[in-house]
Amino acid sequence: MIIRMPILLLLWLVSCLASAEQWRNDGAASRLYFAPSYEGLPINGEFSQFQVSVSSSQNLQPESLSVQVQIASADLGSSDLNQAIQMVDWFDSQSFAEASFISEHIVATGADQQFVAQGTLSLKAATKTIEVPFSWQPSTEGNISMQGELILDRGDFAIGSGEWSSGDQIGLAVKVWFDLSLVAAGD
Amino acid sequence: VDINMAFKNSTDNWGWLSKLFHWLTAALIFIQIPLGFYAKSLRLSPLKIDVFVWHKSLGMLVLLLVVIRLLWRIKNSIPAPLTSHRLHRALASGAHGILYLLMLALPLSGWLTASASMFPTKLFWLIPLPALVSPDSATKTLAADIHSACVYITIAVLLLHIAAALWHHFVRRDSTLKRMWF
Repeated sequence: MIIRMPILLLLWLVSCLASAEQWRNDGAASRLYFAPSYEGLPINGEFSQFQVSVSSSQNLQPESLSVQVQIASADLGSSDLNQAIQMVDWFDSQSFAEASFISEHIVATGADQQFVAQGTLSLKAATKTIEVPFSWQPSTEGNISMQGELILDRGDFAIGSGEWSSGDQIGLAVKVWFDLSLVAAGD
Repeated sequence: VDINMAFKNSTDNWGWLSKLFHWLTAALIFIQIPLGFYAKSLRLSPLKIDVFVWHKSLGMLVLLLVVIRLLWRIKNSIPAPLTSHRLHRALASGAHGILYLLMLALPLSGWLTASASMFPTKLFWLIPLPALVSPDSATKTLAADIHSACVYITIAVLLLHIAAALWHHFVRRDSTLKRMWF
């Protein structure tokens, strides 16, 4: 009995881990960044409010994911810029408060812990199929570290329209990257 | 134009390098002040960004010129003032000292403002301006406030400087203004 108790406890812990299939981002430990550029120099920003939820198989392989981003939380570190990017020419967050990315198809790239989520990004008035590459690392503490980076063309989503649409000053390519800590949903 | 005009200052006259420094910085300051107010007045647009690139680029040029000009002034003697009036001498050297300080403070506070903002700067669309500090809203506001306070002080001291030059030329009829020209 003295030996069996810890073993049972361990088995119970392992079964808890294995059956945790829904994951969500730990708000405090997760970041979603974006960086437009001016004359090729980055302007670093981040979204402070977003929700990520991921489903994984029992052996902790990611299977589907969904991301919601509150556009009004975009922060470029300057009140002037923050006001400007919420305007109609840019994010138009009055009309399009939330962006989302839904992927039901996640494939392993073959490289260690590397995956690609294929899905649809709905941003401003546009919906576009994109691929989001990411690394996926379950930790011994029971959370999952998820990181990735992609480049979006702001022109595809009419972000920076009118006098800004040429991309001469503010480049068309916008880098988006994330560093997430996922915890079992329901915890 | 005197082709034998001296390169260095003498006890009575300014050398051509000092004159060139004076009029170049004068011209730049006369462009910079309205350009700054104009840039600030524009709504955020590609034009505003371009006008600010000019303002920042010319501002850094002023800083470079003033540093060289100060080094040249320190290495050289300067001509004696054409007045023996002690108050006038004190006013003149006080105003000149303040103008030098302002010509340093204006571009430096502008550089600090640009550094503390998130928006990167490329001087003349070519040279990325290194940041003096990391981006921070409070620092940016403080630097911008110092920058605009310096502008108003500059305008006041420049008015005094120009008025004094004209007073020497038209009232006292001495060569203070003439000897600064080529």
